[in-house]
Amino acid sequence: MIVRPVLFPSLGVGGVSLLQGVALLPPLALSVFERGSGQVVLLAVALVTAVFWDLVFASVRKHRFYFHGITTAVIVAVLVPSALPWWQLALSLSLGCVLGEHIFGGRGFGFLSPAAICLSLLLLSFPQVQLEPLSQSVALATLPGVLLLLVTGLISGRVMLGALAVIGGLAFSANPEVDLIALVVPTLFGLVFLTCDPVSAASTKSGRWIYGLLAGLLISIFSKDVATITSAGIIFGSLTASVFAPLIDHLMVLAHAKRRQMRQRARQPNV
Amino acid sequence: MTSLMKHISSPLINNNPITLQILGICSALAVTTSLTTAVTMSLALTVVLCLSSAVISLIRRHIPSVIRLIVQITIIASLVIVIDEILQAYAFEISRQLSIFVGLIVTNCLVLGRAEAFAMRNPVLPSILDGLGNGLGYSLILIIVGSVRELLGKGTLLNYTVFTPVADGGWFEPLGLMQLAPSAFFILGLLVWLVRSIWTQQVDVPKFGLKAQRSRS
Repeated sequence: MIVRPVLFPSLGVGGVSLLQGVALLPPLALSVFERGSGQVVLLAVALVTAVFWDLVFASVRKHRFYFHGITTAVIVAVLVPSALPWWQLALSLSLGCVLGEHIFGGRGFGFLSPAAICLSLLLLSFPQVQLEPLSQSVALATLPGVLLLLVTGLISGRVMLGALAVIGGLAFSANPEVDLIALVVPTLFGLVFLTCDPVSAASTKSGRWIYGLLAGLLISIFSKDVATITSAGIIFGSLTASVFAPLIDHLMVLAHAKRRQMRQRARQPNV
Repeated sequence: MTSLMKHISSPLINNNPITLQILGICSALAVTTSLTTAVTMSLALTVVLCLSSAVISLIRRHIPSVIRLIVQITIIASLVIVIDEILQAYAFEISRQLSIFVGLIVTNCLVLGRAEAFAMRNPVLPSILDGLGNGLGYSLILIIVGSVRELLGKGTLLNYTVFTPVADGGWFEPLGLMQLAPSAFFILGLLVWLVRSIWTQQVDVPKFGLKAQRSRS
């Protein structure tokens, strides 16, 4: 049995990064506008680091140079606090890009999101780093990108809905008067670019539901409490969920094969 | 003579128990938070490995094959208890830091593996040399991982300050991650990557390969 998930036959892997980059532009612009020059420096450091590793591996492995690292760099730059020392960002982003992506052979060959790895290594290595919650305006600026990625099929509505349902449901069951909009909107950026990342999320239909529910559950568990979803919770929750994504897909494919076999047997009772 | 020396030299890199055979990982992760514990553990394991290989090889013709594992374990366990007692007597602080991991040398796959694979079928001298070589190969990796973790995690080496941390007025910011168990996995993984990109004959042939995607025109 050969399973070859062709996610984006017409786009190619470069087009995926391009679309993701377009979707990232509005939140990036707003975040730079709100937080000023410190953010610009961090963004520059992140871009240089990511492109540097892309170049190194393109020359060592002798393949074409892609600008995939740029999306990783932008996601990380939006989420980190503007007071972060630049070398901590460069170090963790290097580890994230190399260990999360290039070691597997580049974008699309791994099973983890390099941005999630970079951010979780940053949080684990430097416990004094505190991520600032994203402002409402940055979160709202994510919305056009969300629509774009949903329409082009780069992120799955199943994952998104599954995760949001669990996060909302848990917060609601803990406190029925919780402001669901205020809870959900700031999580949007992390959910779209970390949890729903096309490389690290599950890629079978039913698997996506399970993956989304699992990610939502883990995000709620790793956050401060179910009524306050933190960026750290989204990062660790997404990373842990994406570790299980290949297993979920594998089980779904097995279950599907089993169902097909049963159907075939039912159709030919005498064979 | 050269063939005897090969027993020592080959497990250092070409047939390293940790980076090639991926044995003894558990203790390699647990005791490498500082160089002192890594060195002590390496010494303890090397001594146990040499002595157990010698004893087992000496009585290899008298061990009934049905109960050979029990006999091997008994010999190894006795040696480990001796080493553990010696450490508690003369280096109590280090023995406390190593906690159960000296005792767990008994279950180290490396020791039992060498006893079963080599000492059971070879004369005493090659067995001792094989034990020594494998012990040194294990020690080499443990010392590398231990140095990296202590240097980057605390800024010290063998408790001497190399980089003055920010807390004491220096410039070095200790990496908290290096003192946690996952960092040993990362360092070990990077080390395996390094070794296998230099000595390419160690690379495993993958069971499955990636094919270039055919264009859908």
